[in-house]
Amino acid sequence: MTFLPFLIILVMSFLERTPLGTISFHLNINNYLRSFEYIYIKVLFKTIWLALIATLTCLIVGFPVAYHLARSRGWMKQLGLILLFIPFWTNFILRIYGLVSLLGNHGLINQVLLHFELIKTPLEILYTRTGVYLGLLYNYLPFLVVPIFSALEKLDPSLREAGFDLGASRFQVFRRVVIPNIKEGIFVGSLFVFIPMLGEYVIPDLLGGAKEAFLGNIMVSQFFVMQDWPFGSAIAGMLSILLLMTLWIQNRWSRSNGFKKGGLDA
Amino acid sequence: MDLKRGVSMRRSNPLVATIFFIVLLFLYAPLGYLILQTFLNNPNDLQSGFTLNWIIKLFHSPSVWDPLITSLEIGILSASLALIVGTLGAVGLVDFAAFLPAAVQSLIMLPILLPEVITGLSLLLFFLLLKVELGFTTVVIAHASFSASFVYFIMLEQLKKLDPQMAEAAEDLGATSNQIFWRVTMPNIIPGMMGGWLLAFTLSFDDFLISFFTSGAGLTTLPLKIYSLMRIGITPELNGLSFLMICISTFLVLVLVSKEQSRKWVLKG
Repeated sequence: MTFLPFLIILVMSFLERTPLGTISFHLNINNYLRSFEYIYIKVLFKTIWLALIATLTCLIVGFPVAYHLARSRGWMKQLGLILLFIPFWTNFILRIYGLVSLLGNHGLINQVLLHFELIKTPLEILYTRTGVYLGLLYNYLPFLVVPIFSALEKLDPSLREAGFDLGASRFQVFRRVVIPNIKEGIFVGSLFVFIPMLGEYVIPDLLGGAKEAFLGNIMVSQFFVMQDWPFGSAIAGMLSILLLMTLWIQNRWSRSNGFKKGGLDA
Repeated sequence: MDLKRGVSMRRSNPLVATIFFIVLLFLYAPLGYLILQTFLNNPNDLQSGFTLNWIIKLFHSPSVWDPLITSLEIGILSASLALIVGTLGAVGLVDFAAFLPAAVQSLIMLPILLPEVITGLSLLLFFLLLKVELGFTTVVIAHASFSASFVYFIMLEQLKKLDPQMAEAAEDLGATSNQIFWRVTMPNIIPGMMGGWLLAFTLSFDDFLISFFTSGAGLTTLPLKIYSLMRIGITPELNGLSFLMICISTFLVLVLVSKEQSRKWVLKG
């Protein structure tokens, strides 16, 4: 029941749209070849690029947050984690709307800046790439904090102490003991943020406007505007393959690393 | 980058704590401002003074209450359907789950792994090809098929935790397999089922994208209503609605978090 629709979209991607707008059952891979055309590849790279930058920012901002939480004690730790997630209990569309009303031309930021005459004309944040970027950052940050946090939590404190006892500086301990031990957690966490970002549709749609379309937006417009279901399905197919491949690589990577670690321990 | 982090570790707490609080401010600002706007005379002007008008208006406008009731109905029906499908799937597959090829397991996980936009479009295509008229029923089925995967994994974990000796003891005492299921397995997985149902309900109630694709023209759930109001532009009605929605979501999650089984799903989104 859960995966039947995916089969349909897969089959559809190999069919053809006739000039009349109907679907013809002529199996071919033209849709996939078409998705390699310049305009689509450009959107694909833009999607990957923006998702990559947003993931890296999440990582840079998220690390101190996770570090702070891991260092806190007892109920402070619990409270910190819960505080991080309360905004995510509300509806997704609502969070986006909150960002819109914050960043828009009449939004809070522009109102304050205009009031204190720091700027003359409203800052253009909404409906630009910066808007999409902030939207991605907002919606994914806590989901990267958690894996870093749990990797830091799992780190045996005696490892760091051993490092200090052997005369390492704080920086050396951090680079040679902490980082190698939480590397995997960070990598897996980043992928779990990066992958859904690649498939975003609503954030670029509502915060980016027409110019900042992601691959997901192109796909949806093939379905609803162009009425070209087979080609839209082919884009969905490409996107799924891209995502599943990333997941597979991550799986392989963490498995082979697990073996190495097991070998060392033994 | 390493160097920067190394330094931040040495000076440790003040700097790191400051970043932590700035991040919290960033996360709370949009929602805080939404709530504030609900009480402003002119939601786009901070200096326009406070009012309760928008909240009062909210209680008299049917265009808000109809979507709310639709959302609740869809949530209840789809959660129940997802619970049945997910639980049956888990009960049927628990003994084989370890032997199932990874490929089959990831098929069940597809709706969790793939972006929602693909799930939504494939469901839309599915309904269109079956020539089903889009509306209430299709949204219920779409939500159920999506949440069933989540329920399946919750129930699978629950079932794995069961002590196999209990079933064996019942068998030794002469129970049939039917009796074992209803009188031994069932009572033990009911807490998990309640958690699964609540999670499925929350997923459905909060869902925008899948409803957006599978609802057709006539049906409006609460998130769809917010979206369409947003498209028109920022209106006071929208702010009242946001306030209502924030209250409902907070209530739902408090209930959900009080259920152990689904806590980690909430925390992981």
